[in-house]
Amino acid sequence: MPKWQKLFLGAAFLALACVPVWGQGPPPPQVLPIPVPGGDVFLPAQPIPAGGVLPSALFNVFSPGVGAFLDGQDAEPNVITNFKGHAAMGYTLGTATDNNGNQYAVITDIRVYRGDYVGGTPIYIGGGTTSAKSHGTFVLI
Amino acid sequence: MQIPDDAVKITDDTVTISLKNASVVDQIRFPGGTGNNLGTAGVAATLSFDITYSKSGASRHVQPTTTDPLSPFNWEGQMWNATNSGTFSLAYNDGTFSAQGSFDSAGNFGEMGFERNGSFVEDRSDAAGLSEHVLDAAKLPVNPAWPSPAQNHSNVALAQNTQGALQSPSGPNFRGKIPIRELIH
Repeated sequence: MPKWQKLFLGAAFLALACVPVWGQGPPPPQVLPIPVPGGDVFLPAQPIPAGGVLPSALFNVFSPGVGAFLDGQDAEPNVITNFKGHAAMGYTLGTATDNNGNQYAVITDIRVYRGDYVGGTPIYIGGGTTSAKSHGTFVLI
Repeated sequence: MQIPDDAVKITDDTVTISLKNASVVDQIRFPGGTGNNLGTAGVAATLSFDITYSKSGASRHVQPTTTDPLSPFNWEGQMWNATNSGTFSLAYNDGTFSAQGSFDSAGNFGEMGFERNGSFVEDRSDAAGLSEHVLDAAKLPVNPAWPSPAQNHSNVALAQNTQGALQSPSGPNFRGKIPIRELIH
């Protein structure tokens, strides 16, 4: 097998930590405040209501940019709705080496958001929420 | 994934993320699992990365072109093209796999800036949203400029005067110093 393998590690990255803000797949949506390293507790943010269909499931993320498989330069870069603040994103190419010396091509789409948002705070016995403003920093990996 | 505020540094021209030992799940394939979603069991892993986004060129002002909540064009912001580069390392918690590497934008699309969506866009057309409108105007000036981290902090924004702030034509015509705190609930 050639050292260069057609394994797009970045695709795995896409599937890594974005689950809490993407609507599909486990774990189920979190409805309780989330403790984060450093001791703070934030309200869970809400995903944008739409996104891309890939290939049969809806993922709550658009793909800004011009070209094949992209939604246009001014497509929504955020995966959080009811948000106001800083946003940065970009597609990258790179390389990686694993613990056995195998090399990989890496494709990433890493995004970061910092700002105010309207999250859900549970007040009903079934975990039902009402809106509550909060401030936080998020990454889509 | 929500992360501590201090993992991200924002300056006039750059955004830097330095994330250490984040707990993630490698879903192996994307899409994958039942229904082609993220339904595979995955492998618990720890991920660290450093990445810097750098602003380039002139900004563009993005206006919502639709009120369709499912459209990608229902948001507003001031955005710049951006390049980025970074390094990463990851390791499965069970020790069976680890890797490290680097990446850069290599001419691919990237952007950074200040944006609002959802209720923060809808509020702008409501008289009831005037308080947000005035507050937002202090953060998103007519003349494009990357807001400083301090400006992005709400209590600092509250201390801004309202010169140049946009006002709804149908809203109250404030003059002089406005007790903005009274408008914020």
